[in-house]
Amino acid sequence: MIQNPYHNKTLQWLFYLVVFALLGAVPLISDDAFLLNQLAIYGVYGMLAVSISLCWGSGGILNMGQGIAFGLGAYCMAMTMQMQTQAEGTIPPFMLNNGLDALPWIWQPFQDTTTGIILALLIPTAFYLIFGGVMFTARVSGPFFAIMTLATLSAFATIFVDLQPYTNGVNGISPPGSLNLGETEIDPYSSGAYWFVFALLVACTVAAKLINQSRFGLIVRALKDDPERVRFLGYNVAIYETLVYALSGLIAAIAGCCFAVLTQYVSPAQFEVGFSISIVIWVALGGRNSLIWAMFGAFTVQGAQSYVGDQFLSTWILILGFSFILVVRFLPGGFAGLVETILGRAAKPEMGADTANLEFSDAKEVAK
Amino acid sequence: MDISSIAFANSLILGLSIAGIFFVAALGLTIIYGTAGVINMAHGEFIMLGAYTVYALQTFAGIPYFLCIPVAFVVVGAIGFAIEKSLIRYLYDRPLDTLLATWGVSLVLIQGTRLIFGSDPKYVEIPQFLSSNLEVGGLSLGVFRIFIIFMALVLAAGVWFIFYKTDFGIKIRAVTQNREIAASFGINSGQVYSFTFALGAGLAGVAGALFGALNIVLPTMGMGYVVEAFLTVVTGGGALLGSAIASLAIGELQSIFALITNSTFAKFLIFVLIVVFLRFRPQGLISASGKRR
Repeated sequence: MIQNPYHNKTLQWLFYLVVFALLGAVPLISDDAFLLNQLAIYGVYGMLAVSISLCWGSGGILNMGQGIAFGLGAYCMAMTMQMQTQAEGTIPPFMLNNGLDALPWIWQPFQDTTTGIILALLIPTAFYLIFGGVMFTARVSGPFFAIMTLATLSAFATIFVDLQPYTNGVNGISPPGSLNLGETEIDPYSSGAYWFVFALLVACTVAAKLINQSRFGLIVRALKDDPERVRFLGYNVAIYETLVYALSGLIAAIAGCCFAVLTQYVSPAQFEVGFSISIVIWVALGGRNSLIWAMFGAFTVQGAQSYVGDQFLSTWILILGFSFILVVRFLPGGFAGLVETILGRAAKPEMGADTANLEFSDAKEVAK
Repeated sequence: MDISSIAFANSLILGLSIAGIFFVAALGLTIIYGTAGVINMAHGEFIMLGAYTVYALQTFAGIPYFLCIPVAFVVVGAIGFAIEKSLIRYLYDRPLDTLLATWGVSLVLIQGTRLIFGSDPKYVEIPQFLSSNLEVGGLSLGVFRIFIIFMALVLAAGVWFIFYKTDFGIKIRAVTQNREIAASFGINSGQVYSFTFALGAGLAGVAGALFGALNIVLPTMGMGYVVEAFLTVVTGGGALLGSAIASLAIGELQSIFALITNSTFAKFLIFVLIVVFLRFRPQGLISASGKRR
């Protein structure tokens, strides 16, 4: 039997190598600072797509509230950056405007950069562990989990707007300086920042792929297909679900940190329901089962969105909505699924019908 | 009666009004979810369409408000029917995908409405007597809010009648319990799903006709209701009575918490309570089909 090249692991890694080599070479071609910053932000979106592909594509956990980890990470990072620019004993100006005269305890740990960055990764991951643990041990799954993540996200948005003295409400935090790591300053408009985000994107994607290929990933994919059966085989399904959910949260938290570094701004918009769902849209269009295609989905949708510009934005959203409906209805594997089928047919034309069947059974499994 | 007990009584009445709003918002969702198990993310946009229907009827045809409500039911019900026939019915065995597809539908509906009516707020006219305030011994409540509570009761009674006193209701309940066996007894389950979806959408249209008068009408107004409506349905478990109890409990608790702290924090507390509740009772208060999620 001839194998579909799409499933060949060596070829997959080779594809990763080519894609990342091309992405990494961008600053060598262009030194337009604005463009590099824009592309680095796409890298952040790519990380978010990878994180959703990990928990939704592999684990079947539809997370419509990835903005929780993203926003928490971004806020923690912005707080760290804010404190870096703050002279000893002074507090951020917006706190003075809101009637605070001393640094609140919740801000204290962010005075130290290392602690701040650790917290930026730890707080979202810990929250995901607790929230996921509570939900998955109660065997809340599928659409209900999606609804709960959505509700949690809007709860976070409300509370961050409400706690104005600590978060500056809807205005958000905009640290006046860029992040300093030791002696190095990460200027968001530079090739250095691009490579910084790029390295993290590669690390996250490769880590996620290794997780998918590991024994852990095998069980995670098994429980997507039939959690009951995995449970009867003696595995603690809730632990696996919680872990894969928390790992995807960690990746989103890293993305959040990068976002704060690149834009030097964070606001409750990061907790917006629409943003979190658009991550799911990127992944669904690109292909939920493939990390790298999910990432392409993010690049394509966001790239097209900024390309069409404000004038055609409304038509664009209409097109996006329709194509999303069409992909969900006819192409559950996204473009990755399409590529998989085409490669399968190219490898062995008479096997085409078989592959199509496989495709169909995949679609049914995804649904469960 | 001292001040604090008046304030408390006022917040109880306000809670009743919030409960009425939640219940009206959640009613259509309850029916669609309870029967077909479909998570309809476009529910908020059905509400929005109901409000725009009333706005359009009033502005372009001068139809009085009370007549607009049943028309909103029919118009949005028809839109729901069309969406079910063209999209949802292919996805019944893929619950996560229905959720996504209906999200796509909601994107298209919001954007379509924005292109037709523009993004500026619209207003729905209501009869004079509905916009007054009723005051009884220190307690006060807008007449329109009383009207919403009244409508919540009327709609609940109507849905109860359809479900338990008509042939169509028997079919709905049969399909809810077991689609295959109901189908083998000659019930056209696809048809039942279509009409149930249309009924749920129509009820969202009525909700929109009410909420459009309560607040301003915007293409994005649906988003504000949909999360609360979902929480009501999930807490209630998908049954009509469950949603009624859940909306009453959420409305009253939110109003009481808002009295003690503030309204934003009250929403947050309610949410935490729901998560804790679902931890111990994931199937909700009253589970429609008895199946575990």
